[in-house]
This record gives sequence, C-alpha cells and structure tokens, in this order.
Amino acid sequence: MITLPDNLKRPFADLLLAVADDKLMLGHRNSDWTGLAPILEEDIAFSSLAQDEMAHAQALYQLIAGLIGTSADALAFGRKSEAFRCAAIVEAPDEFDWATAICRQFFCDHFDRLRLRRLARSSDKPVADLANRLAAEEQIHVEHVDSWMQRLGRGTDESRQRMQKALDRLAAIAPSLFEPIEHEHELVAADVYPRAETDMFETWRNELEQIANDSSLKLDLHPPSPQTIGGRRGKHTEHLPPLLDEMCEVYRLEPNAAW
Amino acid sequence: MIDTQSIMNVLRTIDDPEMPISIVDLGLVDDVRIEPAVDTARVSIDILPTFVGCPALEMIADNITEKVGSLDGISAVDVRFVYDPPWSVDRITDDGRASLKEHGVTVPESGGKLPVPGHSGGAVELRASAVKCPFCGSDTTTLESSFGPTRCRMIYYCQSCRNTFERLKRV
Repeated sequence: MITLPDNLKRPFADLLLAVADDKLMLGHRNSDWTGLAPILEEDIAFSSLAQDEMAHAQALYQLIAGLIGTSADALAFGRKSEAFRCAAIVEAPDEFDWATAICRQFFCDHFDRLRLRRLARSSDKPVADLANRLAAEEQIHVEHVDSWMQRLGRGTDESRQRMQKALDRLAAIAPSLFEPIEHEHELVAADVYPRAETDMFETWRNELEQIANDSSLKLDLHPPSPQTIGGRRGKHTEHLPPLLDEMCEVYRLEPNAAW
Repeated sequence: MIDTQSIMNVLRTIDDPEMPISIVDLGLVDDVRIEPAVDTARVSIDILPTFVGCPALEMIADNITEKVGSLDGISAVDVRFVYDPPWSVDRITDDGRASLKEHGVTVPESGGKLPVPGHSGGAVELRASAVKCPFCGSDTTTLESSFGPTRCRMIYYCQSCRNTFERLKRV
C-alpha cells in the first residue's frame, strides 16, 4: 500500500509518468518498424522492443492510476498532449532511417536503465520492485543496441557516415531526457526518488561516449539546452500531437469500450 | 481440510501457455497461503511474472482460479502477481530444464554469469556464443536473433545438426 504524503502524490505520479510516457512513445516508434526493418531478425527485435516498452508502460500506468485515481487506459490514451511528460527525443520521428532508429534506441535505452536502477532503490516498495524487474529487461535492450552501434560504426564507410549523422542530430536533443519534473527535489529529499549514486548525466555521458568511441563514432554530449526541454512539464515538440492522433485514434472512437 | 501440498499438486498440472512445462517447474509460484474459515478456506497464490506484462499471465491466472477453485473446501482463490523476489531463469527446476530441452529450448545455466549474446566488451561479436545445441549437444552454435517468438526467448542455429533452437533470455 502506498503511504506517500499527499503533497508528494502528484510529483511522484509525474515522475512515473515521465518513465511510462517515454516508454509508450518509444514503443510506438519501435512498432513502426514491424514488417519494415532491414533484416528479419530486427523485425522481430523491434517488434519485441515495442511489446516490452508498452508492457512496461502499462505496468507503470497501473501503479500511477492507483496513486491518482484513474485507469491505465485513460492515462495511456485519454490525455491531451500537455498532460504527457515524455522527453523530446522519444517524440522525434525517425523517417524510417535505420541509423536514426538505432541511435535513438542507444540514447534512450541507456538512460532508461540508469533511471530504473535508481527507482529500484525507492522507498516506495511496489515501485522499487517493479523498477528492479524492468531494469533487468532493459539490460537486454542495452546489449542489443550496443552491438548495433559497433556493427554499423565499424562496418563500411557508408554505414559509419550514416550513423555519425544520426548520432550528431540526436545528440542535440537526447539530453532532454534529463529535464527534471516539477518538485523533483522533494521526491529526492523524501527518498522516494533516491539521490543517484553518481551523477546520472555524467554516468550516461561516459557510458555512451565510450561505446561510441569503441564503435569508431564521435559523440560529444552536453547538459540539456533550454531549447530542447519542456517535455517533462507538458511543453512538447510539434511531433507529439500527430503521434497521439495516430496512437489514440481507435480509443477516442469509444473511450469507455471494454477491450 | 485443504493443505498446501494438494494445492501444489494442482498447480503442477497447469502448464505455461507458451512453454511445455508446468508453472511450478518454471518457478512462477512463490507462495501459497491458506486462510481457513468455518468449513471452507480462501487461498492466496503469489505468482512471479517472467517478463512484465507477459500476455500469458491472464491465462495463467484464469487457469489457477479455475483448477484450484474446483478443489473441495475452497471458497475463493486470489491470484496476485508480485515482483519480489524477481523471477529469474535460476528458478526453473531440473525437471523443467530437462523438459524444455526435449522441446528444443535451452536455459542459461543456473547461477552462471550472463554470457551476453552478441556483446563482449569492445568486440563486434554478434554471432559468438558457447551455447550447447539441445538436439545434438554441439557447441558450434550461433545466435540468430536476440529476440524470438515470445518476449522471453532468443533464437540460435546449430551448425552441426542444422537445427534452429530457442534459448531463454537470462533475466
């Protein structure tokens, strides 16, 4: 049972929404590749990634729904874009460019694993238990994407150039993942979102830069710029509304239908 | 009066919908609690999901409710999904491992360090592995796909007997 003080419920819900919304959008973008990935194995992989991320989001939405009194479906499909807490990078379309899809996964999967490991130490036990389990699954995503960074970065001149271009483009918006939610410091002070053991941004940057380097790619990450943040507080890029229109089209026809 | 043993016996007859072994051998059953009442008992069963949101979970819960609920002396069955302790391949019993192997599904060794498929530090080794083929026992196998027909499985290929086989992901 959740024994969270009332004043922390909304911030905690926002924090968990940031995790779940990132996963839902990324899962939706992953599912675009079903039937279209360059090789069969990756068709299976991206379809599985989509399934994983959506299942993770659903489990989180169920916890959030209990916290603020709504349903998982209403959270996933019944909100307006300003109520979402996802970051700019998961909103960006990949234009069916494989290098972009891989690089987006690279930034997001590493960040997701770090954030889940931190949440796994939360004083809120149901969230900690779930986050611990999700981090183990996210590990598989990280290994998958890292092998693709190396394969393409060290592949041919063309594959390396295309990867470098995608990496440069996304490196500008990837730090948007680190924008704090409102009142995050209160959650940290209450140990609901425990302080990171090492600076999260530095850890992420070091992890990614090393793998990029091993993959013959250049990566230079900087803390989020004011132009790329806002998502964690409901200010989104122009890419989110059309994504939601597509994702929620069926739900909106009959929001109270039983599935 | 109903006892835990007879409930476990029933649970042993329930197979995982996606794998040819019982949910007990798969290590999904964490706890069975019996709350006696006047002449019937309520039963609570804690199940550990393999993967979060695995689509087989609802089917498993329904099967448990139906089969355990049909035992004499039980008024209600409450199936809960819990993540503490987290399920891991280490929970699969020896019988379960043998049965999976017969069906061409291998399981990472109990307690072993994860041999990461397709990832060994700085090397590009998408196809390196030392996974034994469940059919012929050969070590000359290659990882075909780190994702598979369900969320918990990967696909391997045996160069010796030229069969594909599956392997559970280590979580």
